[in-house]
Amino acid sequence: MSNGFSLGVFYTIIRPEEKAILAAAEARGVAVERIDDGETTFGLERPAHLPSVVLNRSVSHTRSLYATRYYAHYGVPTVNDPEVVELAGDKIRSSIRLHERGIPTPRTVVALSPEAAMRAIEEIGYPAVLKPAIGSWGRLMAKVSTAEEAEQILEHKAALTSPLHSVIYVQEFVPKPDRDLRVLVVGDEVVAAMYRHSAGWRTNAARGATTEPTPLTPELTDLSLRAARAVGGGVLAVDLMESPQGLTVHEVNPTPEFKALAAATGVDVAGKIVEYAVGVGRR
Amino acid sequence: MTECPECAASVESHDKILGEVFPCPDCGSELEVLGTEPFAVQPAPKEAEDWGE
Repeated sequence: MSNGFSLGVFYTIIRPEEKAILAAAEARGVAVERIDDGETTFGLERPAHLPSVVLNRSVSHTRSLYATRYYAHYGVPTVNDPEVVELAGDKIRSSIRLHERGIPTPRTVVALSPEAAMRAIEEIGYPAVLKPAIGSWGRLMAKVSTAEEAEQILEHKAALTSPLHSVIYVQEFVPKPDRDLRVLVVGDEVVAAMYRHSAGWRTNAARGATTEPTPLTPELTDLSLRAARAVGGGVLAVDLMESPQGLTVHEVNPTPEFKALAAATGVDVAGKIVEYAVGVGRR
Repeated sequence: MTECPECAASVESHDKILGEVFPCPDCGSELEVLGTEPFAVQPAPKEAEDWGE
């Protein structure tokens, strides 16, 4: 598959996921251009040489935002689109969009200052979960069960200088089994799903959650596809919880890790992603 | 083969590729492949606040 076609892989570091993507491209005869997000510059004029399509695998939300925007400016499609990166990479925007599209999602209240956050927490009720609007892997999340705990966490947030920490995203704590669900959507296809088990309340694979394949029920498939489409579609990991009222979507991730999912399900996730990106590049 | 910059343990190149991040088998520090011929490593970039999925 040459004819000048190439797949740009925009990355920060090469993890097992990126290594699998590079191998999957090679196995399919797809020419790859590796683009290190820390080494690249972007000008206003279109560079003479560009890949046919760029698969964004940067772990930095900020770099992803600007890089995908520049590639769009140059007329190079990206997976995912800059609009999807903007939306899905920001929990506040994601929550708004999921709610707008009628997709079940936990109740959230946002406060724009630590001072207002106590009111947001009281509005949600205890226990409540505080999350950064940007970021993942369960980092800097806190579950608060009492006003005293909330005050202590907010005191810490107020001491942080980044404006990002002044915005407090408060979500209801969903009583769920000791697991959640991770579903990978690629284009119009749900390619794999798994349970993530954890004795703690955070079930991120990055935090050592154990995994097992999940049967793809029609409800799970339909809801995951709707959630992925709601943020613009592409390659997306939809995270769901089993609430007493049914499945609820708490996150849609635009640059999914999939090592654990591929291992749990045996699905060639990297191959699916490469084939999808090549398809986007050939449109 | 090269040395871990953190603990000086021997680190094998095996099938590692440029830019790959992996833990030192001895001390567990995250290392990044700086070159394959010759094999060279450096401490992996530290996780930034906006890193994630």
